[in-house]
Amino acid sequence: MATVTETLVRRPAPAHAPDLLPTVMIGAAVVACVAVASLLAVILWLSFTDGTPGIEPEYTLANFTNMFLDKVTYLVIGNTLGFAATTLCVALAIGLPMAWLIERTDFPGKRVVFTLFTVALLLPGFSVALGWLFLLNPRVGAINHLLMWLFGLGEAPFNVSTVLGMGMVEGLSLTPVIFIMCSVVFRSMDASLEEAARMSGASLIQTMRRVTLPVAWPGILAASIYVFAIGFAAFDVPAILGMSNRIYTFSTYVYHNINPDGGLPEYGAVAALSMFMLSFAVLMTLWYSRVQRQAPRYAIVTGKAYRPVIVRLGRHKPVAVAFVVTYFVLAQLLPVLMLVWASGLPYLQPISAAAFESLSWRNYLELQPDVILLGVGNTSILMVVVPTIAVALALAISWVVLRSKLKGRAAVEFFAFLPHTIPPIVFSVAAWLLALFVLADVLPIYGTIWILVLVYVVQRISYCTRMTNTAMIQVHKELEESATIFGAPTAGVMRRVLLPLLLPAMMYAWIWTALLAYRELTLPVVLTTSGNQTLSMVVWGLVQTSAFGPASAVALIMVGLMIPILILYWTVARRTGIAPAG
Amino acid sequence: MTYRSADTEHQAVRGVSIEIKQGQFYTLLGPSGCGKTTTLRCVAGLERPDSGQIMVGDEIVYDSASNIWVAPNNRHIGMVFQSYAIWPHMTVFENVAFPLRYLKPKPRRAEMREKVRNALSLVQLGGLEDRPAPFLSGGQQQRLALARALVAEPRVLLLDEPLSNLDAKLREEMRLELRELVKRLNVTTLFVTHEQIEALTMSDVMAVMKDGLIVQEGRPTEIYGAPGQTFVADFIGKTNFLKAKVVSRDGAGSNMRLARVDTPIGPLACRMAGDAVQGDAVTIAVRPENVEIKAGASTEDNSAAGEVDAVVYLGNLLDCVVNIRGERIRVQLHPSQTLAKGDKVSLRFPMEHCLVLPS
Repeated sequence: MATVTETLVRRPAPAHAPDLLPTVMIGAAVVACVAVASLLAVILWLSFTDGTPGIEPEYTLANFTNMFLDKVTYLVIGNTLGFAATTLCVALAIGLPMAWLIERTDFPGKRVVFTLFTVALLLPGFSVALGWLFLLNPRVGAINHLLMWLFGLGEAPFNVSTVLGMGMVEGLSLTPVIFIMCSVVFRSMDASLEEAARMSGASLIQTMRRVTLPVAWPGILAASIYVFAIGFAAFDVPAILGMSNRIYTFSTYVYHNINPDGGLPEYGAVAALSMFMLSFAVLMTLWYSRVQRQAPRYAIVTGKAYRPVIVRLGRHKPVAVAFVVTYFVLAQLLPVLMLVWASGLPYLQPISAAAFESLSWRNYLELQPDVILLGVGNTSILMVVVPTIAVALALAISWVVLRSKLKGRAAVEFFAFLPHTIPPIVFSVAAWLLALFVLADVLPIYGTIWILVLVYVVQRISYCTRMTNTAMIQVHKELEESATIFGAPTAGVMRRVLLPLLLPAMMYAWIWTALLAYRELTLPVVLTTSGNQTLSMVVWGLVQTSAFGPASAVALIMVGLMIPILILYWTVARRTGIAPAG
Repeated sequence: MTYRSADTEHQAVRGVSIEIKQGQFYTLLGPSGCGKTTTLRCVAGLERPDSGQIMVGDEIVYDSASNIWVAPNNRHIGMVFQSYAIWPHMTVFENVAFPLRYLKPKPRRAEMREKVRNALSLVQLGGLEDRPAPFLSGGQQQRLALARALVAEPRVLLLDEPLSNLDAKLREEMRLELRELVKRLNVTTLFVTHEQIEALTMSDVMAVMKDGLIVQEGRPTEIYGAPGQTFVADFIGKTNFLKAKVVSRDGAGSNMRLARVDTPIGPLACRMAGDAVQGDAVTIAVRPENVEIKAGASTEDNSAAGEVDAVVYLGNLLDCVVNIRGERIRVQLHPSQTLAKGDKVSLRFPMEHCLVLPS
């Protein structure tokens, strides 16, 4: 008998076991937020000091005034904007038409294209950059030599170590991002809008110009801002191609200031540069979210079953196929082939009969096994530990944000979103400064694998939270409420209802995070010492000493080791039915 | 009990007090946003009221004064959700067995299987134990949700618009079946709906809610036959309203008092339930099925002459609108009657069916 009166006999309820899990999850979410906040706080703090580890700091504005008075700063800003703009133009020019071809025409073998794009997205950026170095270097670049020989040129026509060259390479490697984001836009667009235009007498081209592109525009703009921001923060390509030629973008300039040509790192200056970069990135993100929020205002339909009009390519089909094939051969296959070539050579040289003679396995055989094994070991630890912690924290954060009634849950959501906006090099610097200035005495993790774990986890938390959020929103709240009503405490609801339903998304986030941890170069570049080298850092170290042969060999080993992980990824992706995401 | 929703100053439930007797089928009826679902969720423990007291049986599960709060999983309540909330990753058996896992003491395997089988045969789903839950039809999922709600023999059964996701024909069948089942098991039931027909056909007692308050409580015949407010009369069934002024009243003391009122269509003698006095502005409510119609003019009491404005054939009845001095009166007739637009008719409003309601 249920009553809401005060007339009946009162009997207090019997005591029940306390429900601990909510506290644990709130605790985990708070820890994650504190980690994000403290990383950012340490940069902010040190940018206003003349910081040296171990010495009481003095507060000053000098870091900022110096930065803005230095002409180099403006040169770097100019380089970075030019680089990011070139990146965007190249990626958009190739990725957008491809997205349309795959989503809206009878292009053959769409699945294969998607698969290839996923591979392209995961190929370590520094290996591809290395390949391009061997193709377009003015001294030994294969393409340069070919052209000089063909046309009898006196000097190399291309130099990849320029802003334009680097932008092109970065653009080719970010084409998959534009492709994937734009295909989502084309896929979710209501085809009846185009049909209506065709019925009103517009031709295919007119329809595209007057309906398709304007409707898809917010989505395309969002993708463009996203890619521009990635380009702005990119490290791999400018580091491999530009630094030797003393052409710096912001990320590499920050790195350069950590390891100046002579003397000690200027911690305060590095923090100030990072602050500047951070502010720019935050502005880009704000713009991006604004555009994205506006996007649904256009008639973008989701969930409704419809069949988009498929454009017949007809006699243009071979041209379209050639376009896609050329991209993959030129942008992805050729650089990797160049790695194979370079890994067999004793020293870098143009393609020639003599060079063919000198091909050997020496670079592979002479690799130091202990260094490689240490790299493999550390990378393996990161690939298991990082996604596990990141996904667990993401689950806790999503639960707190979406399911709990905690007062500060909006703040939790904000902090979980923050890492998404922050350039990786800034994260890396933040962790470095935190370890040196704050944690040095309390928790000496500098030089260990754990500082990498910390920064990897914090950096990936936005992505993982987005995955678990999306999945949890799709779980009807009543499924959990019913479990509660039928007697399950929070732990029971979690174990029997929520976890089984979220498992596909969590597995997907886990493996994607593992793959990104595998190919990561920017995060460890500041934090690595001899003890916590990752495999990517082994390549980096070899490139730094101009040992291009062995560097290529290790980079190739990395690409090779990726294959079994990729197979695992596809198995998961197919079984869970979740589309790839960036 | 009061409940203030978290995000706004709006009070979803402003002072609801209900008492459900053992084995009673009690319905909360009201338009969306009236607070009926919030009330139900407070009983379930899914929402926490701001003040008040909730008892299940003789156990206090919530009391703001002594700060008692029993978590929903410890309330031993059965519930059918609007979406059914059937767990898609479990089989039919696992869904029904779920509440048994958390019983104290936990039943043994054989006993569990027996209880699940009984619950499933109760809702005519016997033999489907091993089927994955998403492979059931909408009607079957609804039955499954019911079996799950009943399997642990809860103290109270809460039903949150359980029929709203079924198609019309199935809904009609389930209305009767559901009521029959809970009455047979003698389960105390709290049912929430916005469908008047469900409330009228299924409840022992029903309460009409509006803006977080209970407007009227009573047996379905009372609520339909003698609504206490224009809101209730309008929300449940169709009603003609006439603005009126009380001219005189008599029959004080007896339970059926008489009031003479002036309306735009002429003077009427009406039944009076409230306490309006001479000169008060009131509203007269007459159900369309209670109005009598005759061709031509009439001199009887409580009659008025007018012209047919519209006739709509609905199969089982004839729905027509009669215009009397600008007032449009709806009348429901047997479909065999022949009427056409423009016919001169007169309407009689039987005194016992004309209700005086406060304006």
